[in-house]
Amino acid sequence: MILKTLSKEFKESFRNGKAKIAFSIVVILLFTSVWLSMQKYNNANKEYLKATESERHIWDNQGEKNPHSAAHYGTYAFKPKQPLSLIDKGVDKYVGTTIFLEAHYRNEAQFSAAADQTGTSRFGELTPDFILLFLIPLLIILLGYNIFTKEKEQGTLFLLKSSGASINQLTLGKWLSLFIPIFLCTTIVFIIAGILLSNLNDYGTFSWTSLISMWSIYIGFYIVFINIVMLISYVSKRSGLSLVIALSVWIFTCLVTPKIASTLAENKYPYPTRQEFQAMVTKDKKQGLDGHNTWNEEAQLLKEKVLKEYKVDSLHQLPFNFDGYRMQKGEEYQAAIYSKHYNNLKAQYENQNKTYKTLAAISPFLPTRFLSMSIAQTDYATHWHFSDAAEQYRIQTQKFLNDNFAQNSVFGDWKYKADSSTWSALPQFNYTPQSLSTIIDTNKSYLIILGLWVLLSFSTLYLTIKLK
Amino acid sequence: MEMLHIHCMKLSCATSFYTMITLDNVNKSYGDFKALKNLNLTVKPGEIYCLLGANGAGKTTTINLLLGFITPNTGTISINNINVQKSALKSKQYLAYIPENLMLYPNLTAVENLNYFSGIGGKSFGKKALETFLDDAGLQREAFHKRLSKFSKGMRQKVGIAIALAKDTKVLLLDEPTSGLDPKASNEFGQLLKHLKNKGVAILMATHDIFRAKDVATHIGIMKEGELKYEFETDKISLAALESTYLKIMDYKTLEV
Repeated sequence: MILKTLSKEFKESFRNGKAKIAFSIVVILLFTSVWLSMQKYNNANKEYLKATESERHIWDNQGEKNPHSAAHYGTYAFKPKQPLSLIDKGVDKYVGTTIFLEAHYRNEAQFSAAADQTGTSRFGELTPDFILLFLIPLLIILLGYNIFTKEKEQGTLFLLKSSGASINQLTLGKWLSLFIPIFLCTTIVFIIAGILLSNLNDYGTFSWTSLISMWSIYIGFYIVFINIVMLISYVSKRSGLSLVIALSVWIFTCLVTPKIASTLAENKYPYPTRQEFQAMVTKDKKQGLDGHNTWNEEAQLLKEKVLKEYKVDSLHQLPFNFDGYRMQKGEEYQAAIYSKHYNNLKAQYENQNKTYKTLAAISPFLPTRFLSMSIAQTDYATHWHFSDAAEQYRIQTQKFLNDNFAQNSVFGDWKYKADSSTWSALPQFNYTPQSLSTIIDTNKSYLIILGLWVLLSFSTLYLTIKLK
Repeated sequence: MEMLHIHCMKLSCATSFYTMITLDNVNKSYGDFKALKNLNLTVKPGEIYCLLGANGAGKTTTINLLLGFITPNTGTISINNINVQKSALKSKQYLAYIPENLMLYPNLTAVENLNYFSGIGGKSFGKKALETFLDDAGLQREAFHKRLSKFSKGMRQKVGIAIALAKDTKVLLLDEPTSGLDPKASNEFGQLLKHLKNKGVAILMATHDIFRAKDVATHIGIMKEGELKYEFETDKISLAALESTYLKIMDYKTLEV
């Protein structure tokens, strides 16, 4: 009976012009978006490789130069495109992919325009994640809103029941008729994306495990939606009513709740404005050691401490250039200030995440959105991870340059120039993203919430059909 | 055991002891409204029992009780000696039902509809067998592979009969099956019912159509306000007497010409 119902539903859907057209449009859009995304991914990857090589070439070929001039000259940390960004671009487009690394400053390009983590600001872009997150649930509604109501309207449900049909088997057949086409088109798209990505050698971090994990998340999301749509159709008397309710659920789940979540999170745990943030950092920096300002009170104290430690009367008697030493100490102090303030920002980010997690209980869209971005490594957490790695590299670079200055010159010798081979001794910036297990562990609450949505929707559908 | 059961059925049929449809002292109320009052009714194999009555007389309630969709307040209902209240699903193995507006699946062909409904009943037939059932039900061959969206009500009723034939049903319940049919289609439908009756099917038909009832039924019951007021053996009453009794029970005044 399950197979007969499945076959009957397929025939009906296939012969229904509206369902056929809607399904074809979504499938074409999905494949087109993957193809477009692949082109963009390839271009971005080429640009990344070109920019990385070019920037390194410039750094290595600075010629003879004072190390502190090189520190101010600076370099760039480029965020590599993660393979699964092919499917979910996440917040990448808004947080920027380049951080300028220079002395004394932790630049904050990453905070440019990312105000909305949930994706509603990206609504309408032809990207695979837009189609997977917004259009496929709509397709489920179009295919399934009348899956029971049409039987009621035609009187066939009455006839089926009078024929002794098992409602559970009937429901399972209908459920499969909705699930199988969605499952197949999603799976084929992910397989194509996987094959395309696994054949790219330019950035070798693609993992089938990550792809399968992301695919599972979407399949879970669709199961929840199928269950909700079937439940609505089962309790509604008319197809029109069922469609209106199902569309309202879609609007609430995919549009309203994410927007509410963003607004609530931002209102409850606001980030400081850029001006406020810079003012706080500047204030703290002024209260400590300034590597450039020799008359700074902290610089004087450092000088006295070093003279005492090395038991000498003059900075000229030190076995290193005190200017370079002071510069390094100044960098360390400023790095600590940045670390403090960025940790405050991170705390706000974590608090905002808690709000999102709480609201994920009322919309399966939220856990899916966040899990998808996390696995694609295009979420805020990954951006923080990259930003921190870039900052560590900046600190390491400054130490390398200040040490060179301190070790190879004497106090007051600002004319010292490191030779041209110095720069290539600085290790290249290599960003290693977080492992899948770390990502899953960090996002396990979203995973649990989505799992609960799957269980809850199944049990509600089952109990409603059993009791009604 | 099954052989013995079949033997008993045949024996009962021959001796008219065996009943396929039984309603014993059935009462059904909706709040204060009494839809059925002490209904006693039996239909044996090879009988066509027509329930006549105006709207709200309790005909459809009776059918819904037999289908197990509603439960009686008191009384017992059985199909082929299976208590419907206790084993609704089991009792449905023996019955087929054709409602007033049999819609079936408009996007499926007659053969596909028949294939699906016989599958629901746990039976599987090849294309030839399905076509034979449709043929036996009187559907034109050229309509076999056409979608039901293009079918008239009469044609859909024939597919309904084919479903009953494919199920090898013992009991057929019909709710106003000839309403809206043209006289030719109504007559054809009547012939099909007689064919099923001759095969030993017990048929209970709720209808307004006194003339069709007189034509096809072996027994007629007239219901009013949930009560079975009169029961006749059709061959023992003339159409005129039946009509007169019906109108009298319904308190209708005849139009004098």
